[in-house]
Amino acid sequence: MSKENKARAKPIVLERSYKARIEDVWDLWATKEGFESWWGPQGFRVEVQVLDARLGGTLQYDMIADSPEMLAAMKQMGMPASHATHSRFSALKLHERLVLTNVIDFLPGVEPYESNITVEFLAHGDTVRMTVTLDPMHTDQFSQMQKEGFTSQLTKLDERFV
Amino acid sequence: MQLDVFQTLADPTRRRIVEALRSGEQQVGDVVMTAGVHQSGVSRHLRILHEAGFVSMRPDGQRRLYALRPEPFQELEAWLTQYRRLWDVRLDRFGAALEKKQKQAGPGKKRSR
Repeated sequence: MSKENKARAKPIVLERSYKARIEDVWDLWATKEGFESWWGPQGFRVEVQVLDARLGGTLQYDMIADSPEMLAAMKQMGMPASHATHSRFSALKLHERLVLTNVIDFLPGVEPYESNITVEFLAHGDTVRMTVTLDPMHTDQFSQMQKEGFTSQLTKLDERFV
Repeated sequence: MQLDVFQTLADPTRRRIVEALRSGEQQVGDVVMTAGVHQSGVSRHLRILHEAGFVSMRPDGQRRLYALRPEPFQELEAWLTQYRRLWDVRLDRFGAALEKKQKQAGPGKKRSR
């Protein structure tokens, strides 16, 4: 694979290590209580309707704006204070790896599209390393550009201007 | 017409033109050659890119020279950083939730080393 192709395939990757049991880390993704306890994001709380942590299983939850600032911001953007989110576990290997495919159908004026979050778990001694790999989202246009490898070239463009 | 950064780059022809300009300042004819787009299309899209702040233009005698401007790319970069930060914050919450869960489980359930 050429350097260029590698750059094109590069998504956003986040890595964290926790002193914890693999089961506890996994359950934060794969149980209703676990998922609700952290997903957020800031200014939102989550109410899980369905969480079926099996291959092909459904994850359905409501994202509810729960701070005055967020409520105001959503109103300004013409978005409802609460919206239902539809996802599925499109890959799942217990305590090792899961892929959450999210249907992004709540952005005003944007055609629905899918976005993947890949999570990999690696237990080592009393530590679990968790790697989260993100598909880009925000607008379908942006996703399309990302697919075509355009945004990964931004860094290179920026270098020219340093 | 004022387009945002995403709308401006949503057009594949404009992306080709931007990529062509990465090698430096050029006149329309050079962009036509590099981007493989018809002259009238290049002129139209260069105008849009110019209006959107992606491209600067300076006259040089009879020629008009076009070059990329850094600002919109910095804007895109800032957006990507913001997206990443959102996830950093989210994973901080993940860590906090995990710690809470472990505390609730109590020291009795803690795995011995």
